[in-house]
Amino acid sequence: MKEEIKKLLADALPMVDFESECLYEQLDSIGVVTILIVLSNQYSIHLNIQDATPKNLISLDALVRLVESKLKEQ
Amino acid sequence: MRLEDYLQEHAQHRPEQCAIVQGSNRVSYSQLWKDIQTCAEQLRANGLKRHRPYVFRASQDATFVVTYCAVHLLDAIAVPLEHSVSDEIFNKVKNEVEACQYTPDITDILYTTGTSGQAKGVMLSKTCLAACADNFIVEMRFHPELVFIVSGPLNHIASLFKIHPIFTVGGTLCILDGLRDINAFYQVFELPYQHFATFLVPASIRMLLQFSPEQLHEVSHLIDFIETGAAPISSIDMQRLSMALPNSRLYNTYGGTEIGCVCTYQFNDGLYKEGCIGRPMPNSKIEISEDGSLIVSGKTVMSGYVANPKSTEEVLRNGRIYTSDLGRIDEQGLIYIMGRCDDIINIGGYKIDPVEVENIVNKLEGIQDCICIASTHPIIGAVLKLLFVVEDGKALTKSEIAMHIKNNLESYKIPQEYEQVDTIRRTYNGKKDRKSYRGMTAFFVGNRVKGRGGSDNHVVE
Repeated sequence: MKEEIKKLLADALPMVDFESECLYEQLDSIGVVTILIVLSNQYSIHLNIQDATPKNLISLDALVRLVESKLKEQ
Repeated sequence: MRLEDYLQEHAQHRPEQCAIVQGSNRVSYSQLWKDIQTCAEQLRANGLKRHRPYVFRASQDATFVVTYCAVHLLDAIAVPLEHSVSDEIFNKVKNEVEACQYTPDITDILYTTGTSGQAKGVMLSKTCLAACADNFIVEMRFHPELVFIVSGPLNHIASLFKIHPIFTVGGTLCILDGLRDINAFYQVFELPYQHFATFLVPASIRMLLQFSPEQLHEVSHLIDFIETGAAPISSIDMQRLSMALPNSRLYNTYGGTEIGCVCTYQFNDGLYKEGCIGRPMPNSKIEISEDGSLIVSGKTVMSGYVANPKSTEEVLRNGRIYTSDLGRIDEQGLIYIMGRCDDIINIGGYKIDPVEVENIVNKLEGIQDCICIASTHPIIGAVLKLLFVVEDGKALTKSEIAMHIKNNLESYKIPQEYEQVDTIRRTYNGKKDRKSYRGMTAFFVGNRVKGRGGSDNHVVE
């Protein structure tokens, strides 16, 4: 899943380094919204703005954990 | 009175009133005035003189406000640049502005996109800034109990021009570092105040409506007004926002660095007129030229471009700015924006010349041809898209191209979308066929004859 998310997001946000441990610092509001849309669509999960916290967007691993937790909730 | 005079007055009469909120940081008017004076002394000691420019990167915090006001306190000229601007661009601007002499009324120089692929320094006078502040105070009813939230870059007029009215009336400026953390935006409403207002580009409004309708509803009783602008807002979004905020005033404002803040339309009128920018504010006047473009005059317009009399003459004649915005006036005197008559692309209020982006991309080894166009994102609205052709035997990734642009241009000029194509369409004379990439949208401007300043211009004051 991690590689799939990385590929999807790198395609949508080519200027962002998804290997970075400071992912959140590279994002602006467009980047945050893009991540929410891409992950919502790909995994049919409901992400809202409360999920878009710095903690959830700090790294690729954090994003994977977010998706996994949303999938478990369903 | 200058803005600095108002700040001094508030510091004397309402010293404990909060001037700036930024995260957990609170700056009273008393403290702000002290900080401005201290900063002004440092700038003076470092050699800044009256009527001379001071170039600095715009941080998204109280330090920016202090520096900006300190420069004005010295009767010097503030030249704030985007915080992430490269040293190369910073030094280029610095060299350009320091090589010129200025009249005493010039107080700000803001850099904006030019139509030739080169950024231009827009010179603004004290009169212009005061007139824009007056327009906002009168039309949007700024008052001392108001907390105005700015989330956009402080060197952009949508944010910068709010500093003046909010400090003039003695209100509170709340600074957010963008809207990437929407939760931080909503936390502002937990502050012990009852009156909030903000400026949001249409993309941010759609983002709030899409991803946080419940939170927006919960704070709706605290919002005096929301102003949008910088890019077109759809009728549907106007309606959705009006329903979410039934007791707030909602404005769509028309303005620009060269023309100042000119018109506004209070769109929660039940009609939600798309493209409508209302009527001119008190210090502004609008005419429609024979070719359907808007001409703006009044106290809010710029004084000219830095070191560029030719470009100045092209747009500023006899105190009137000839814009590239196409418009019309309806029978009620309401003005509508109908598009642009040049190739400039508007992304969230930033005017981007596609040629500037293409010139940088063309320098990348392996690029054979490219074109920068506008594309539509489902939430964000207009975004930049780059179509590129790679030389035979070469390979380039989106990331490589994006990083190359990032290293050479401001961040808002980096395309969001990329597509490798076989060829770029060109016209019969070899120019890039930009119109063919604009989809089927066409702007009707009537059967007017191309030309400017004719006697049948429509005028609205």
